[in-house]
Amino acid sequence: MTRRSAFVAACLLFVAALSSEVSADGLVNEDVKRTVDLSTHLAKITAEIVLSNHGQSSVQSFILAVDADLAPHMAYIGASVKGDEEEDGTLELQQTSIQGQRGEFYKVLLPSTLAAGAQLKVKTEMMFSHVLKPFPTQITQAERQLVVFQGNHYLYSPYPTRSQTTRVRLASKTAESYTKLGNPSKTDEIIEYGPFRDVAPFSEDALKIHYENNTPFLTITSITRTIEVSHWGNIAVEETIDLRHTGAILKGPFSRYDYQRQSDSGISSVKSFKTILPASAQDVYYRDEIGNISTSHLQVLDDSVEVEVRPRFPLFGGWKTHYIIGYNLPSYEYLYTLGDQYALKMRLVDHVYDDQVIDYMTVKIVLPEGAKNIHVDTPYKIDRMPNQLHYTYLDTFGRPVLVATKNNLVEQHIQDFVVHYTFNKILMLQEPLLVVGAFYILFFTVIIYVRLDFAITKDPAAEVRMKVASITEQVLTLVNRRLGLYRHMDEVVNRYKQSRDTGALNSGRKTLEADHRTLTSEISSLQARLKTEGSDLAEKVGEIQKLDGQVKDLVCRSCSEAERLVGGKVKKETYIESEKNLTGRRQELISRIDSLLDAL
Amino acid sequence: MVTAGLIHYILNLLHLTVHIRDVCVFLAPVFSGLTAISTFLLTRELWNQGAGLLAACFIAIVPGYISRSVAGSFDNEGIAIFALQFTYYLWVKSVKTGSVFWTIGCCLSYFYMVRVTYSTFYIVGLILSMQVPFVGFQPIRTSEHMAAAGVFALLQAYAFLQYLKDRLTRQEFQTLFFLGISLAACIVFLTVIYLTYTGYIAPWSGRFYSLWDTGYAKIHIPIIASVSEHQPTTWVSFFFDLHILVCTFPAGLWFCIKNINDERVFVALYAISAVYFAGVMVRLMLTLTPVVCMLSAVAFSSVFEHYMGDDTKREKPPAEDSSDEDDKRNSGNLYDKAGKVRKHVSEQEKAEEGLGPNIKSIVTMLMLMLLMMFAVHCTWVTSNAYSSPSVVLASYNHDGTRNILDDFREAYYWLRQNTDEHARVMSWWDYGYQIAGMANRTTLVDNNTWNNSHIALVGKAMSSNESAAYEIMRSLDVDYVLIIFGGVIGYSGDDINKFLWMVRIAEGEHPKDIRESDYFTPQGEFRVDKAGSPTLLNCLMYKMSYYRFGEMQLDFRTPPGFDRTRNAEIGNKDIKFKHLEEAFTSEHWLVRIYKVKKLENREALDHKLRSVVSKQKYTSKKTAKRKRGHIKNKLVLKKGKKLPKK
Repeated sequence: MTRRSAFVAACLLFVAALSSEVSADGLVNEDVKRTVDLSTHLAKITAEIVLSNHGQSSVQSFILAVDADLAPHMAYIGASVKGDEEEDGTLELQQTSIQGQRGEFYKVLLPSTLAAGAQLKVKTEMMFSHVLKPFPTQITQAERQLVVFQGNHYLYSPYPTRSQTTRVRLASKTAESYTKLGNPSKTDEIIEYGPFRDVAPFSEDALKIHYENNTPFLTITSITRTIEVSHWGNIAVEETIDLRHTGAILKGPFSRYDYQRQSDSGISSVKSFKTILPASAQDVYYRDEIGNISTSHLQVLDDSVEVEVRPRFPLFGGWKTHYIIGYNLPSYEYLYTLGDQYALKMRLVDHVYDDQVIDYMTVKIVLPEGAKNIHVDTPYKIDRMPNQLHYTYLDTFGRPVLVATKNNLVEQHIQDFVVHYTFNKILMLQEPLLVVGAFYILFFTVIIYVRLDFAITKDPAAEVRMKVASITEQVLTLVNRRLGLYRHMDEVVNRYKQSRDTGALNSGRKTLEADHRTLTSEISSLQARLKTEGSDLAEKVGEIQKLDGQVKDLVCRSCSEAERLVGGKVKKETYIESEKNLTGRRQELISRIDSLLDAL
Repeated sequence: MVTAGLIHYILNLLHLTVHIRDVCVFLAPVFSGLTAISTFLLTRELWNQGAGLLAACFIAIVPGYISRSVAGSFDNEGIAIFALQFTYYLWVKSVKTGSVFWTIGCCLSYFYMVRVTYSTFYIVGLILSMQVPFVGFQPIRTSEHMAAAGVFALLQAYAFLQYLKDRLTRQEFQTLFFLGISLAACIVFLTVIYLTYTGYIAPWSGRFYSLWDTGYAKIHIPIIASVSEHQPTTWVSFFFDLHILVCTFPAGLWFCIKNINDERVFVALYAISAVYFAGVMVRLMLTLTPVVCMLSAVAFSSVFEHYMGDDTKREKPPAEDSSDEDDKRNSGNLYDKAGKVRKHVSEQEKAEEGLGPNIKSIVTMLMLMLLMMFAVHCTWVTSNAYSSPSVVLASYNHDGTRNILDDFREAYYWLRQNTDEHARVMSWWDYGYQIAGMANRTTLVDNNTWNNSHIALVGKAMSSNESAAYEIMRSLDVDYVLIIFGGVIGYSGDDINKFLWMVRIAEGEHPKDIRESDYFTPQGEFRVDKAGSPTLLNCLMYKMSYYRFGEMQLDFRTPPGFDRTRNAEIGNKDIKFKHLEEAFTSEHWLVRIYKVKKLENREALDHKLRSVVSKQKYTSKKTAKRKRGHIKNKLVLKKGKKLPKK
């Protein structure tokens, strides 16, 4: 590389030494058709040049020159060979310099050598930003915007020109003044200069045009484009844009009334513009520091997504705004992979509005955590900054961020870049595992905490209480079950009264007896345990047992009463009487038991 | 705010890179969730689990609390309610457990106490003035917080005594207790009086007075009365915010008082004081809401307990009573499991009589209907009143499409982007925070301005005529003036409608320059049309609102300059400014910003410079040659020629 540049430098030195004989390579601009397009806020200067080689030897390159006054504003320069067919071959450019001459020079490498006496049609294109100066620099809302362009009547070239025309395209019919070299003709928006014959190399003649231009003078003063790649299938793009109206500055008041009611009021102001996003863009958002900007519209077309970006307020000269636009893209359209090798191919800068000018751009590419061996291919030269680290959700050692900046970009810079890197696929599982691990630890801690007793002091009283409580609870269940038995017995008796099936009654009575015995014995064993715990509840349980015995007697009696009734040994009235009596007593006993239970 | 910062810090420490804005937005909903939980716990302590569940449901949807807990309402109050509920829960819990766990938890309970008392300090302060201390020494310096501090000190003393109680015999303790309490009370009382007199503590502020006397603010401090949140609450807003709970809340209170115990006394006191405060100020409705939810839940749950049951119901009211008593006791001693088992069986035992199934089902249905209506109302209120951001207005067309009027943000963002970074904006204080937050510009007065005279000065500037206002604005170094004007879209909360308050506040401080009566017609009306008072038609606010509005015809049925908010054709259509110029007006004219012109180099003179001419005659004793070379004349000549050409 260095050797090559040294070689180029040597060549340059050689060329410079021969600068007076530049035409020694024998190149001549036979015919030049130059177009200066001033219809927007950019100056686009295109030239169709017929180059002919009048020298003895064949040449492999020619020199393209840029005027010294315009050169600092140049955003883009390109050259292509215009073949007989439509296909235009773009040519490679290398910046050089010519000693003793002002301006910038580019060496254009021809695809094939131009033999002596041969001709070639070349098309060159240059874009200049901020060369249209508003004059006057301040206008009121009602006034129209006038701008001045200063350039060159001739093609600035190191070669002599045989014949040349310059055509200037304006934004409107109204031109305040323009230089009158060679008596130009003006029809509507077009001024035609020339043809000029036999122009010497490096000739300059000031062209000055003062005309009305109400096209939006929007400039992106700075844009930060962040591309965040996720291997889970998503690429998030976010652009933070600072926008300024760089036309004539608004002087005096802004009247909403005039703006609303008069159509030509604030004619040079910007109300809205269209941004074209990739066709697969989803979840588009458009907002600023204070929230969503509600004045935008989204239109999904077949090959793109169009956002009508309307700033919160119309932009007048000198006003600025700031917003963020972002969207998601599916990664399969932009991310290519081969094993562990990945390549991301995306636009370095994307469309914001037609004829855009970007003063300063920062691109940040956030790669997944763990990406290594990063290598970037850019379509044009761009200033790389040191890599950064970005931490987002669940990151441990940070994601690598590639940062690059560039000044003065125009539409022609919308081109693809490629980032190559390697990434171990297992690392994709890192973050889910992290979450799983965190939850595992959390639950495990809770389990440990709940299962184990961390109290420093033992409290015997509390423990006894707990024991007593559990025993009491058991007692309660048992007592309730026993009471349930009686209810069950009642049902059996009732059924017996209807069916008169003595067998059923007897078996019911037997089960009652058996169940009752087991329950009672269980309760008394619990009572004994209560006693050992030293609880005074044992006495109460004993009382319950006593009362329960009475209840059971009553149940048995009502049972036998029923038997007697069925057997016809008592009259119905007397049975009802005695039954009522029994039930009453039973109720009384049960409520006493209840109150005892409540007291437990 | 500290909470939000802390959460943000912790999350970011864990590499959960949440924006601080998102933390702030979701803080209120998160805390309202916690509030629901703590309400459940508190009500469970208070009554039973069912009531707790109902209370949590109520607090989750009740409009009075939703107003503070919707996402984005980042305010102290949202968190304060959680702190309140949780503290009360801890309080009740510590009161209850205090006796059982005394041996184990002396230390723990003391910790609880400190915690609770700290929060009590916080909350009593809250109830008294709703001013959560966020301004330096403010809480220590004002009297209303002194009461809170006093309570704090007393509780500390009490806690200390409780601690001593553990060590001392009963007899000793009692004497010490009374001695200590009375001594502490005396000391605190005397200190407060002393400090007040020596000026360490500001005397009771107006807000506090207005709590006791609703009429106080109106007479003495118009600025407090001017805030809609400080108005006495109307019945409508009670119903709007609480709906059916307003009716069931007294029932719940009655239930509580009927079966009184420690924590119910506490809740009853809380309820009664909250009702009083809520009646005084709309804003304090917020403190009422949780207790209303809890007590209503108590009411509902006891009704349901009574009327719903299983298929087998309990028999007579006494049974229910006893069960309530059980509950009470059970909740006191940890063994409620046992109580539950016992309850339903023993009740089943009793044969049913009393209420027929029809009545039961009717009552149940009715209650359910009420609850359903409540839910519908809450949803409606939430979606209509509290869900839409107040800074973005929306209107609906006939076909249902929505029009968003984003004028506020449009204008604020314009200010942010296109004015000098150090520009000072004068506006009424309502928009102070919005301008500071969204436009990032300095304001003269904002929502937290305590200096009444400052606000009054802005009010005076707004209500004076242009040249007088210009003097004030010059002295205040104002660059821009921002006003809200709703006449085009019919927005009623604009500055002309607030204007009388500005006048009143200005009059409070500058009674010589501003008189409220000047702004009324002789009939005592406030009108913006031709019949309006000339003072009004020429004051700065009027002129700024209606500048060039007289030319504007909104639709064909109305004359040009027809104000939709006040339904009147404006009275002064020919408005010219001398010291101001329109800097920005938003799309629907909602926000209008004027630029205050700097002083011109020199005042333009109305008359000719006669004296200068005469002087020249005297001094010119030069030859004709020299005269020709005089530069002054030449310049004048050239200027005169060039200008008309252009």
